[in-house]
Amino acid sequence: MAPPTRAGDYPFAPVDRVNAELFTLTYGAIVRQLLTDFEEVEEVNKQLDTMGYNIGVRLIDDFLAKSNITRCSEFKDTAEVIAKVGFKMFLGVSATVSNWSADGSECSLILDDNPLADFVELPDTCQGLFYCNILCGVIRGALEMVSMRTEVKFVKDMLRGDDAFEIRLKLLEQVAEEYPYKDDE
Amino acid sequence: MIGVGRSKQNLNVVDRPLGKGKTEVSLSAFAFLFSELVQYNQTRVDNIAELERRLEDAGYAVGIRMLELLCHREKGNRRETRLLNILSFVHSTVWKSLFGKVADSLEKGTEHEDEYMISEKELLVNRYISVPKDMGAFNCGAFVAGVVKGVLDGAGFPARVTAHFVAVEGQPRPRTTILIKFSEEVLQREARLG
Amino acid sequence: MAAIASTPRMRCLYIFNRDGVCLHYHVWLRPLTTLSPHQDQKLMFGLLFSLKSFTAKMDPVGGNKGNLGAPNLPGQGCSFHSFRTNTYKLSFMESPSGIKLILITDPRMGDLRDALKYIYSNIYVEYVVKNPLYTPGQPFKCELFNATLDQYVKTLQ
Repeated sequence: MAPPTRAGDYPFAPVDRVNAELFTLTYGAIVRQLLTDFEEVEEVNKQLDTMGYNIGVRLIDDFLAKSNITRCSEFKDTAEVIAKVGFKMFLGVSATVSNWSADGSECSLILDDNPLADFVELPDTCQGLFYCNILCGVIRGALEMVSMRTEVKFVKDMLRGDDAFEIRLKLLEQVAEEYPYKDDE
Repeated sequence: MIGVGRSKQNLNVVDRPLGKGKTEVSLSAFAFLFSELVQYNQTRVDNIAELERRLEDAGYAVGIRMLELLCHREKGNRRETRLLNILSFVHSTVWKSLFGKVADSLEKGTEHEDEYMISEKELLVNRYISVPKDMGAFNCGAFVAGVVKGVLDGAGFPARVTAHFVAVEGQPRPRTTILIKFSEEVLQREARLG
Repeated sequence: MAAIASTPRMRCLYIFNRDGVCLHYHVWLRPLTTLSPHQDQKLMFGLLFSLKSFTAKMDPVGGNKGNLGAPNLPGQGCSFHSFRTNTYKLSFMESPSGIKLILITDPRMGDLRDALKYIYSNIYVEYVVKNPLYTPGQPFKCELFNATLDQYVKTLQ
Protein backbone atom coordinates (compact mmCIF):
# COMPACT_ATOMS: atom_id res chain seq x y z
CA MET A 1 0.00 0.00 0.00
CA ALA A 2 1.27 3.47 -0.82
CA PRO A 3 2.03 5.30 2.40
CA PRO A 4 -0.39 8.16 3.07
CA THR A 5 1.08 11.62 3.09
CA ARG A 6 0.72 12.05 6.83
CA ALA A 7 0.32 9.53 9.58
CA GLY A 8 -3.24 9.89 10.75
CA ASP A 9 -4.54 10.12 7.22
CA TYR A 10 -5.04 6.39 7.11
CA PRO A 11 -8.63 5.85 6.26
CA PHE A 12 -10.37 3.07 8.09
CA ALA A 13 -13.52 1.19 7.28
CA PRO A 14 -16.62 2.27 9.17
CA VAL A 15 -16.82 0.26 12.38
CA ASP A 16 -19.82 -1.06 14.30
CA ARG A 17 -20.48 1.00 17.39
CA VAL A 18 -22.12 0.60 20.78
CA ASN A 19 -23.39 3.00 23.41
CA ALA A 20 -20.40 4.44 25.27
CA GLU A 21 -22.26 4.08 28.58
CA LEU A 22 -22.32 0.29 28.29
CA PHE A 23 -18.56 0.45 27.79
CA THR A 24 -17.93 2.96 30.56
CA LEU A 25 -20.09 1.18 33.12
CA THR A 26 -18.61 -2.22 32.23
CA TYR A 27 -15.16 -0.80 32.76
CA GLY A 28 -16.32 0.59 36.09
CA ALA A 29 -17.56 -2.87 37.06
CA ILE A 30 -14.13 -4.32 36.23
CA VAL A 31 -12.30 -1.74 38.34
CA ARG A 32 -14.73 -2.41 41.18
CA GLN A 33 -14.06 -6.16 40.98
CA LEU A 34 -10.31 -5.54 41.09
CA LEU A 35 -10.61 -3.25 44.09
CA THR A 36 -12.52 -6.01 45.88
CA ASP A 37 -10.15 -8.77 44.78
CA PHE A 38 -6.86 -6.99 45.49
CA GLU A 39 -7.61 -4.31 48.07
CA GLU A 40 -4.23 -2.61 47.56
CA VAL A 41 -4.54 0.24 45.06
CA GLU A 42 -0.99 -0.39 43.78
CA GLU A 43 -1.93 -3.98 42.94
CA VAL A 44 -5.03 -2.78 41.12
CA ASN A 45 -2.93 -0.41 39.01
CA LYS A 46 -0.70 -3.33 38.09
CA GLN A 47 -3.62 -5.61 37.33
CA LEU A 48 -5.27 -2.97 35.12
CA ASP A 49 -2.02 -2.66 33.19
CA THR A 50 -1.84 -6.44 32.76
CA MET A 51 -5.44 -6.66 31.60
CA GLY A 52 -4.76 -3.86 29.16
CA TYR A 53 -1.73 -5.73 27.85
CA ASN A 54 -3.86 -8.82 27.26
CA ILE A 55 -6.35 -6.69 25.37
CA GLY A 56 -3.59 -5.01 23.36
CA VAL A 57 -2.16 -8.26 22.02
CA ARG A 58 -5.60 -9.08 20.59
CA LEU A 59 -6.74 -5.63 19.62
CA ILE A 60 -3.73 -5.09 17.35
CA ASP A 61 -5.07 -7.58 14.80
CA ASP A 62 -8.48 -5.93 14.73
CA PHE A 63 -6.75 -2.59 14.30
CA LEU A 64 -4.53 -3.82 11.47
CA ALA A 65 -7.46 -5.54 9.76
CA LYS A 66 -9.58 -2.38 9.80
CA SER A 67 -6.93 0.23 9.18
CA ASN A 68 -5.25 -1.48 6.23
CA ILE A 69 -1.88 -0.56 7.65
CA THR A 70 0.63 -3.04 6.25
CA ARG A 71 3.73 -2.08 8.17
CA CYS A 72 4.62 -0.13 11.29
CA SER A 73 8.36 0.16 11.62
CA GLU A 74 8.90 3.84 12.47
CA PHE A 75 8.18 4.72 16.08
CA LYS A 76 7.39 8.32 15.23
CA ASP A 77 4.70 7.40 12.69
CA THR A 78 3.38 4.71 14.96
CA ALA A 79 2.78 7.19 17.78
CA GLU A 80 0.82 9.40 15.39
CA VAL A 81 -1.20 6.43 14.19
CA ILE A 82 -2.12 5.46 17.77
CA ALA A 83 -3.20 9.01 18.55
CA LYS A 84 -5.07 9.80 15.37
CA VAL A 85 -6.37 6.43 14.19
CA GLY A 86 -6.28 4.07 17.18
CA PHE A 87 -8.04 6.25 19.73
CA LYS A 88 -10.50 7.42 17.10
CA MET A 89 -11.33 3.92 15.88
CA PHE A 90 -11.86 2.33 19.27
CA LEU A 91 -12.92 5.10 21.64
CA GLY A 92 -14.22 7.71 19.23
CA VAL A 93 -11.84 10.34 20.63
CA SER A 94 -8.51 11.54 19.33
CA ALA A 95 -5.26 12.30 21.03
CA THR A 96 -2.37 14.64 20.36
CA VAL A 97 1.27 13.60 20.22
CA SER A 98 3.66 16.04 21.87
CA ASN A 99 6.72 16.49 24.05
CA TRP A 100 9.08 14.40 21.92
CA SER A 101 12.39 13.69 23.57
CA ALA A 102 15.47 14.84 21.65
CA ASP A 103 16.41 11.33 20.55
CA GLY A 104 12.89 10.55 19.33
CA SER A 105 12.39 7.60 21.64
CA GLU A 106 9.83 9.18 23.97
CA CYS A 107 6.66 11.17 23.53
CA SER A 108 3.36 11.99 25.19
CA LEU A 109 -0.16 11.21 24.09
CA ILE A 110 -2.59 13.81 25.33
CA LEU A 111 -6.23 12.79 25.32
CA ASP A 112 -8.89 15.32 24.38
CA ASP A 113 -11.58 13.25 26.01
CA ASN A 114 -11.66 9.94 27.83
CA PRO A 115 -14.82 7.85 27.83
CA LEU A 116 -13.41 5.49 30.47
CA ALA A 117 -13.50 8.24 33.06
CA ASP A 118 -17.10 9.42 32.56
CA PHE A 119 -19.16 9.34 35.78
CA VAL A 120 -16.00 8.75 37.82
CA GLU A 121 -14.85 10.46 40.96
CA LEU A 122 -12.17 8.79 43.04
CA PRO A 123 -13.15 8.27 46.67
CA ASP A 124 -10.56 9.09 49.34
CA THR A 125 -9.65 5.43 49.71
CA CYS A 126 -8.56 5.21 46.06
CA GLN A 127 -6.37 8.28 45.73
CA GLY A 128 -3.39 6.32 44.42
CA LEU A 129 -5.46 4.65 41.72
CA PHE A 130 -4.68 5.25 38.06
CA TYR A 131 -8.25 4.57 37.07
CA CYS A 132 -7.57 4.44 33.33
CA ASN A 133 -4.33 2.47 33.63
CA ILE A 134 -5.75 -0.19 31.33
CA LEU A 135 -5.04 2.14 28.39
CA CYS A 136 -1.29 1.99 29.09
CA GLY A 137 -1.40 -1.79 28.99
CA VAL A 138 -3.37 -1.82 25.75
CA ILE A 139 -0.81 0.38 24.01
CA ARG A 140 2.11 -1.63 25.38
CA GLY A 141 0.56 -4.95 24.33
CA ALA A 142 -0.39 -3.78 20.86
CA LEU A 143 3.06 -2.30 20.21
CA GLU A 144 4.81 -5.43 21.40
CA MET A 145 2.99 -7.38 18.69
CA VAL A 146 4.49 -5.08 16.06
CA SER A 147 7.95 -5.61 17.51
CA MET A 148 8.21 -2.50 19.69
CA ARG A 149 8.98 -3.03 23.34
CA THR A 150 7.80 0.01 25.24
CA GLU A 151 7.18 1.49 28.64
CA VAL A 152 3.84 3.26 28.96
CA LYS A 153 2.49 5.18 31.92
CA PHE A 154 0.18 7.98 32.96
CA VAL A 155 1.99 11.17 33.91
CA LYS A 156 -1.13 13.32 34.20
CA ASP A 157 -4.59 12.20 35.23
CA MET A 158 -7.60 14.49 35.46
CA LEU A 159 -9.19 12.21 38.02
CA ARG A 160 -6.24 13.08 40.25
CA GLY A 161 -6.62 16.77 39.66
CA ASP A 162 -4.28 17.31 36.70
CA ASP A 163 -5.30 19.49 33.78
CA ALA A 164 -5.18 16.66 31.22
CA PHE A 165 -4.85 12.95 30.63
CA GLU A 166 -1.26 12.47 29.50
CA ILE A 167 0.28 9.11 28.69
CA ARG A 168 4.06 8.87 28.40
CA LEU A 169 5.28 6.46 25.75
CA LYS A 170 8.89 5.29 25.69
CA LEU A 171 10.43 2.99 23.08
CA LEU A 172 12.87 0.57 24.70
CA GLU A 173 13.82 -1.51 21.68
CA GLN A 174 12.61 -2.84 18.39
CA VAL A 175 12.74 -6.60 18.38
CA ALA A 176 13.59 -8.35 15.14
CA GLU A 177 11.87 -11.56 14.23
CA GLU A 178 14.05 -14.58 14.81
CA TYR A 179 13.70 -18.21 13.94
CA PRO A 180 11.67 -19.46 16.91
CA TYR A 181 12.63 -23.14 17.11
CA LYS A 182 15.75 -24.63 18.58
CA ASP A 183 17.38 -27.23 16.35
CA ASP A 184 17.00 -30.10 18.76
CA GLU A 185 13.26 -29.57 19.05
CA MET B 1 -18.30 29.24 43.02
CA ILE B 2 -19.05 29.14 39.35
CA GLY B 3 -16.58 27.04 37.42
CA VAL B 4 -15.74 29.61 34.75
CA GLY B 5 -13.06 28.40 32.41
CA ARG B 6 -12.95 24.97 33.89
CA SER B 7 -13.26 22.13 31.46
CA LYS B 8 -16.01 19.55 31.68
CA GLN B 9 -13.73 16.95 33.23
CA ASN B 10 -12.52 19.30 35.90
CA LEU B 11 -15.97 19.92 37.27
CA ASN B 12 -17.01 17.75 40.14
CA VAL B 13 -18.71 14.70 38.71
CA VAL B 14 -22.11 15.58 40.14
CA ASP B 15 -21.96 19.13 38.80
CA ARG B 16 -21.33 18.04 35.26
CA PRO B 17 -24.30 17.85 32.95
CA LEU B 18 -25.38 14.29 32.40
CA GLY B 19 -24.79 13.28 28.78
CA LYS B 20 -27.65 12.27 26.57
CA GLY B 21 -26.27 8.76 26.24
CA LYS B 22 -25.69 9.22 22.54
CA THR B 23 -21.91 8.97 22.43
CA GLU B 24 -20.51 5.74 21.12
CA VAL B 25 -17.37 3.65 21.14
CA SER B 26 -16.52 0.88 18.72
CA LEU B 27 -18.13 -2.48 19.23
CA SER B 28 -14.62 -3.96 19.14
CA ALA B 29 -13.55 -1.84 22.11
CA PHE B 30 -16.45 -3.27 24.09
CA ALA B 31 -15.85 -6.81 22.78
CA PHE B 32 -12.20 -6.74 23.89
CA LEU B 33 -13.02 -5.23 27.26
CA PHE B 34 -15.71 -7.83 27.80
CA SER B 35 -13.36 -10.64 26.70
CA GLU B 36 -10.85 -9.51 29.28
CA LEU B 37 -13.55 -9.40 31.95
CA VAL B 38 -14.24 -13.07 31.13
CA GLN B 39 -10.54 -13.99 30.93
CA TYR B 40 -9.74 -12.28 34.22
CA ASN B 41 -12.62 -13.92 36.02
CA GLN B 42 -11.63 -17.33 34.69
CA THR B 43 -8.45 -16.97 36.72
CA ARG B 44 -10.46 -16.30 39.90
CA VAL B 45 -12.82 -19.27 39.88
CA ASP B 46 -12.82 -23.07 40.08
CA ASN B 47 -15.94 -23.83 38.12
CA ILE B 48 -18.38 -22.56 35.51
CA ALA B 49 -21.13 -21.72 38.00
CA GLU B 50 -18.76 -19.44 39.90
CA LEU B 51 -17.61 -17.81 36.67
CA GLU B 52 -21.20 -17.09 35.70
CA ARG B 53 -21.89 -15.69 39.14
CA ARG B 54 -18.96 -13.29 38.90
CA LEU B 55 -20.04 -12.14 35.44
CA GLU B 56 -23.53 -11.66 36.83
CA ASP B 57 -22.10 -9.51 39.65
CA ALA B 58 -20.29 -7.31 37.13
CA GLY B 59 -23.48 -7.00 35.09
CA TYR B 60 -25.46 -6.16 38.22
CA ALA B 61 -23.24 -3.14 38.87
CA VAL B 62 -23.93 -1.96 35.31
CA GLY B 63 -27.68 -2.58 35.57
CA ILE B 64 -28.24 -0.69 38.77
CA ARG B 65 -26.45 2.38 37.36
CA MET B 66 -28.16 2.10 34.01
CA LEU B 67 -31.52 2.25 35.80
CA GLU B 68 -30.55 5.50 37.50
CA LEU B 69 -29.34 7.03 34.26
CA LEU B 70 -32.39 6.01 32.27
CA CYS B 71 -34.94 7.00 34.92
CA HIS B 72 -33.35 10.39 35.09
CA ARG B 73 -33.04 10.83 31.35
CA GLU B 74 -36.12 9.14 29.91
CA LYS B 75 -38.67 9.22 32.66
CA GLY B 76 -38.21 12.51 34.50
CA ASN B 77 -36.94 10.65 37.57
CA ARG B 78 -39.99 8.43 37.77
CA ARG B 79 -39.76 4.69 37.60
CA GLU B 80 -42.19 1.90 36.86
CA THR B 81 -44.10 0.31 39.72
CA ARG B 82 -46.06 -2.37 37.86
CA LEU B 83 -44.63 -5.69 36.79
CA LEU B 84 -45.54 -5.62 33.12
CA ASN B 85 -44.38 -2.04 32.80
CA ILE B 86 -40.97 -2.73 34.30
CA LEU B 87 -40.58 -5.77 32.04
CA SER B 88 -41.40 -3.74 29.01
CA PHE B 89 -39.00 -1.04 30.24
CA VAL B 90 -36.21 -3.66 30.33
CA HIS B 91 -37.18 -5.22 27.01
CA SER B 92 -37.37 -1.91 25.16
CA THR B 93 -35.78 1.10 26.89
CA VAL B 94 -32.88 -0.66 28.59
CA TRP B 95 -32.18 -2.93 25.62
CA LYS B 96 -32.32 -0.08 23.18
CA SER B 97 -29.87 2.06 25.06
CA LEU B 98 -27.45 -0.79 25.79
CA PHE B 99 -27.66 -2.77 22.57
CA GLY B 100 -29.15 -0.29 20.09
CA LYS B 101 -32.34 -2.32 19.55
CA VAL B 102 -35.30 -3.63 21.50
CA ALA B 103 -35.02 -7.29 22.48
CA ASP B 104 -36.33 -9.85 20.00
CA SER B 105 -39.07 -11.06 22.32
CA LEU B 106 -40.60 -10.87 25.78
CA GLU B 107 -42.75 -13.82 26.82
CA LYS B 108 -44.45 -15.11 29.92
CA GLY B 109 -43.34 -18.56 31.06
CA THR B 110 -45.92 -21.20 30.26
CA GLU B 111 -45.25 -23.40 33.27
CA HIS B 112 -44.74 -20.93 36.08
CA GLU B 113 -46.72 -17.79 36.88
CA ASP B 114 -43.65 -15.98 38.18
CA GLU B 115 -41.40 -16.50 35.14
CA TYR B 116 -40.75 -14.29 32.16
CA MET B 117 -38.29 -14.64 29.29
CA ILE B 118 -36.47 -12.09 27.21
CA SER B 119 -34.86 -13.65 24.14
CA GLU B 120 -32.28 -12.44 21.71
CA LYS B 121 -31.22 -14.21 18.54
CA GLU B 122 -27.69 -12.90 18.78
CA LEU B 123 -26.91 -11.37 22.14
CA LEU B 124 -24.07 -8.86 21.87
CA VAL B 125 -21.84 -10.69 24.34
CA ASN B 126 -22.31 -13.99 22.50
CA ARG B 127 -21.70 -12.68 19.00
CA TYR B 128 -18.10 -13.85 18.66
CA ILE B 129 -18.06 -16.74 21.08
CA SER B 130 -17.40 -20.42 20.52
CA VAL B 131 -17.88 -22.29 23.77
CA PRO B 132 -15.56 -25.31 23.98
CA LYS B 133 -17.17 -28.61 24.90
CA ASP B 134 -15.45 -28.80 28.27
CA MET B 135 -17.22 -25.62 29.35
CA GLY B 136 -20.63 -27.25 28.97
CA ALA B 137 -23.55 -24.87 29.08
CA PHE B 138 -21.48 -21.83 30.03
CA ASN B 139 -23.20 -18.68 28.79
CA CYS B 140 -21.60 -15.21 28.78
CA GLY B 141 -25.16 -13.94 28.83
CA ALA B 142 -24.81 -14.27 32.62
CA PHE B 143 -23.42 -10.73 32.39
CA VAL B 144 -26.61 -9.50 30.71
CA ALA B 145 -28.69 -11.49 33.19
CA GLY B 146 -26.83 -9.51 35.87
CA VAL B 147 -27.67 -6.24 34.13
CA VAL B 148 -31.36 -7.20 34.08
CA LYS B 149 -31.20 -8.25 37.73
CA GLY B 150 -29.57 -4.92 38.62
CA VAL B 151 -32.28 -2.94 36.86
CA LEU B 152 -35.10 -4.98 38.42
CA ASP B 153 -33.61 -4.94 41.90
CA GLY B 154 -32.97 -1.22 41.73
CA ALA B 155 -36.58 -0.67 40.73
CA GLY B 156 -37.91 -2.77 43.60
CA PHE B 157 -38.59 -5.98 41.69
CA PRO B 158 -36.14 -8.52 43.14
CA ALA B 159 -35.78 -11.57 40.91
CA ARG B 160 -33.52 -14.48 40.08
CA VAL B 161 -32.21 -13.94 36.55
CA THR B 162 -30.30 -16.52 34.48
CA ALA B 163 -29.09 -16.87 30.88
CA HIS B 164 -29.60 -19.97 28.74
CA PHE B 165 -28.84 -21.12 25.21
CA VAL B 166 -31.94 -22.34 23.41
CA ALA B 167 -31.62 -24.21 20.12
CA VAL B 168 -33.67 -22.73 17.29
CA GLU B 169 -34.98 -24.96 14.55
CA GLY B 170 -33.33 -24.31 11.21
CA GLN B 171 -30.66 -22.03 12.75
CA PRO B 172 -27.03 -23.05 13.18
CA ARG B 173 -26.67 -20.95 16.33
CA PRO B 174 -28.79 -21.06 19.47
CA ARG B 175 -30.49 -17.94 20.75
CA THR B 176 -29.99 -16.68 24.29
CA THR B 177 -32.93 -16.52 26.66
CA ILE B 178 -32.78 -14.44 29.81
CA LEU B 179 -35.05 -16.14 32.33
CA ILE B 180 -36.54 -13.91 35.02
CA LYS B 181 -38.10 -15.50 38.10
CA PHE B 182 -39.63 -12.85 40.36
CA SER B 183 -39.55 -13.11 44.14
CA GLU B 184 -42.74 -14.03 45.87
CA GLU B 185 -43.13 -10.59 47.44
CA VAL B 186 -43.21 -9.02 43.99
CA LEU B 187 -46.10 -11.21 42.88
CA GLN B 188 -47.98 -10.63 46.13
CA ARG B 189 -47.64 -6.87 45.78
CA GLU B 190 -48.71 -7.08 42.17
CA ALA B 191 -51.82 -9.04 43.21
CA ARG B 192 -52.66 -6.41 45.83
CA LEU B 193 -52.38 -3.62 43.28
CA GLY B 194 -54.95 -5.53 41.22
CA MET C 1 -13.61 -31.53 6.52
CA ALA C 2 -17.13 -32.41 5.57
CA ALA C 3 -16.84 -29.90 2.78
CA ILE C 4 -14.42 -31.95 0.66
CA ALA C 5 -16.89 -32.65 -2.13
CA SER C 6 -17.84 -29.02 -2.67
CA THR C 7 -14.35 -27.54 -2.27
CA PRO C 8 -12.10 -29.70 -4.39
CA ARG C 9 -9.61 -26.92 -4.99
CA MET C 10 -8.81 -26.25 -1.34
CA ARG C 11 -6.19 -28.39 0.35
CA CYS C 12 -5.34 -26.89 3.73
CA LEU C 13 -4.77 -23.74 5.75
CA TYR C 14 -2.13 -23.01 8.39
CA ILE C 15 -2.16 -20.06 10.76
CA PHE C 16 1.03 -19.26 12.69
CA ASN C 17 1.70 -16.49 15.17
CA ARG C 18 4.92 -14.51 15.43
CA ASP C 19 6.43 -17.05 17.80
CA GLY C 20 6.04 -19.91 15.35
CA VAL C 21 3.09 -21.45 17.19
CA CYS C 22 0.71 -23.14 14.78
CA LEU C 23 -2.56 -21.63 16.00
CA HIS C 24 -4.65 -23.58 13.59
CA TYR C 25 -4.36 -26.24 10.93
CA HIS C 26 -7.40 -26.81 8.75
CA VAL C 27 -7.62 -29.66 6.24
CA TRP C 28 -10.06 -29.91 3.37
CA LEU C 29 -8.25 -32.43 1.20
CA ARG C 30 -4.92 -34.00 1.89
CA PRO C 31 -4.68 -37.65 0.94
CA LEU C 32 -0.94 -37.78 1.62
CA THR C 33 0.62 -37.01 4.99
CA THR C 34 4.05 -38.38 5.76
CA LEU C 35 5.03 -36.34 8.80
CA SER C 36 3.61 -35.95 12.27
CA PRO C 37 1.48 -32.80 12.59
CA HIS C 38 4.18 -31.16 14.71
CA GLN C 39 6.96 -31.90 12.21
CA ASP C 40 4.75 -30.90 9.33
CA GLN C 41 3.94 -27.53 10.89
CA LYS C 42 7.50 -26.84 11.90
CA LEU C 43 8.68 -27.57 8.38
CA MET C 44 6.05 -25.31 6.88
CA PHE C 45 7.02 -22.45 9.18
CA GLY C 46 10.69 -23.01 8.42
CA LEU C 47 10.05 -23.04 4.68
CA LEU C 48 8.33 -19.67 4.87
CA PHE C 49 10.90 -18.20 7.18
CA SER C 50 13.71 -19.13 4.79
CA LEU C 51 11.78 -18.11 1.69
CA LYS C 52 11.11 -14.70 3.15
CA SER C 53 14.74 -14.29 3.95
CA PHE C 54 15.90 -15.49 0.50
CA THR C 55 13.41 -13.40 -1.44
CA ALA C 56 14.41 -10.29 0.48
CA LYS C 57 18.10 -11.05 -0.06
CA MET C 58 17.65 -11.41 -3.80
CA ASP C 59 15.63 -8.20 -4.13
CA PRO C 60 17.28 -6.33 -7.06
CA VAL C 61 15.82 -2.92 -6.17
CA GLY C 62 15.05 -2.83 -2.44
CA GLY C 63 17.40 -1.04 -0.06
CA ASN C 64 17.58 -3.43 2.86
CA LYS C 65 20.50 -5.81 2.37
CA GLY C 66 21.27 -7.49 5.63
CA ASN C 67 23.15 -10.74 5.76
CA LEU C 68 21.20 -13.76 4.66
CA GLY C 69 19.32 -15.09 7.64
CA ALA C 70 19.81 -11.88 9.62
CA PRO C 71 16.70 -11.11 11.65
CA ASN C 72 14.21 -8.78 10.00
CA LEU C 73 11.49 -6.66 11.50
CA PRO C 74 8.13 -7.90 10.26
CA GLY C 75 7.08 -5.87 7.25
CA GLN C 76 10.65 -4.96 6.45
CA GLY C 77 12.01 -5.62 2.98
CA CYS C 78 10.02 -7.21 0.20
CA SER C 79 7.73 -10.14 0.75
CA PHE C 80 6.51 -12.94 -1.46
CA HIS C 81 2.86 -13.92 -1.67
CA SER C 82 2.70 -17.21 -3.53
CA PHE C 83 4.52 -20.00 -5.34
CA ARG C 84 3.24 -22.77 -7.51
CA THR C 85 4.42 -26.29 -8.17
CA ASN C 86 2.95 -28.72 -10.66
CA THR C 87 0.77 -30.23 -7.93
CA TYR C 88 -0.18 -27.38 -5.61
CA LYS C 89 -0.12 -23.65 -5.05
CA LEU C 90 0.91 -22.01 -1.77
CA SER C 91 -0.45 -18.53 -0.99
CA PHE C 92 0.94 -16.56 1.90
CA MET C 93 0.01 -13.48 3.89
CA GLU C 94 1.67 -11.92 6.91
CA SER C 95 0.23 -9.16 9.08
CA PRO C 96 2.52 -6.57 10.70
CA SER C 97 1.71 -8.33 13.97
CA GLY C 98 3.39 -11.46 12.61
CA ILE C 99 0.25 -13.55 12.03
CA LYS C 100 0.97 -15.78 9.03
CA LEU C 101 -1.73 -17.36 6.92
CA ILE C 102 -0.80 -20.10 4.45
CA LEU C 103 -3.39 -21.46 2.07
CA ILE C 104 -2.56 -24.56 0.02
CA THR C 105 -4.73 -25.09 -3.03
CA ASP C 106 -4.97 -26.74 -6.40
CA PRO C 107 -2.26 -25.21 -8.67
CA ARG C 108 -4.89 -23.75 -11.00
CA MET C 109 -6.19 -21.28 -8.39
CA GLY C 110 -5.74 -17.61 -9.23
CA ASP C 111 -4.56 -14.77 -7.00
CA LEU C 112 -5.67 -15.43 -3.41
CA ARG C 113 -4.29 -12.31 -1.73
CA ASP C 114 -7.75 -10.84 -1.22
CA ALA C 115 -9.04 -14.17 0.05
CA LEU C 116 -6.27 -14.36 2.65
CA LYS C 117 -6.92 -10.80 3.72
CA TYR C 118 -10.60 -11.66 4.05
CA ILE C 119 -9.87 -14.73 6.15
CA TYR C 120 -7.59 -12.70 8.41
CA SER C 121 -9.85 -9.65 8.80
CA ASN C 122 -13.32 -11.11 8.70
CA ILE C 123 -12.94 -14.62 10.05
CA TYR C 124 -9.80 -14.90 12.19
CA VAL C 125 -10.14 -11.49 13.86
CA GLU C 126 -13.90 -11.77 14.33
CA TYR C 127 -14.27 -15.34 15.54
CA VAL C 128 -10.93 -16.11 17.16
CA VAL C 129 -9.38 -12.85 18.34
CA LYS C 130 -12.72 -11.52 19.65
CA ASN C 131 -13.85 -14.81 21.15
CA PRO C 132 -13.93 -14.11 24.91
CA LEU C 133 -12.86 -17.69 25.61
CA TYR C 134 -9.80 -17.68 23.35
CA THR C 135 -6.41 -17.38 25.02
CA PRO C 136 -3.96 -15.52 22.76
CA GLY C 137 -0.90 -17.48 21.67
CA GLN C 138 -2.64 -20.84 22.07
CA PRO C 139 -3.83 -23.14 19.28
CA PHE C 140 -7.57 -22.69 18.92
CA LYS C 141 -10.64 -24.74 18.10
CA CYS C 142 -13.47 -22.35 17.37
CA GLU C 143 -16.71 -23.67 15.98
CA LEU C 144 -17.70 -20.32 14.51
CA PHE C 145 -14.32 -19.89 12.84
CA ASN C 146 -14.52 -23.33 11.23
CA ALA C 147 -18.09 -22.92 10.05
CA THR C 148 -17.49 -19.46 8.60
CA LEU C 149 -14.24 -20.51 6.94
CA ASP C 150 -15.79 -23.59 5.31
CA GLN C 151 -18.63 -21.42 4.07
CA TYR C 152 -16.26 -18.81 2.70
CA VAL C 153 -13.87 -21.09 0.81
CA LYS C 154 -16.83 -22.53 -1.10
CA THR C 155 -17.05 -19.14 -2.81
CA LEU C 156 -13.43 -19.41 -3.98
CA GLN C 157 -13.92 -21.88 -6.82
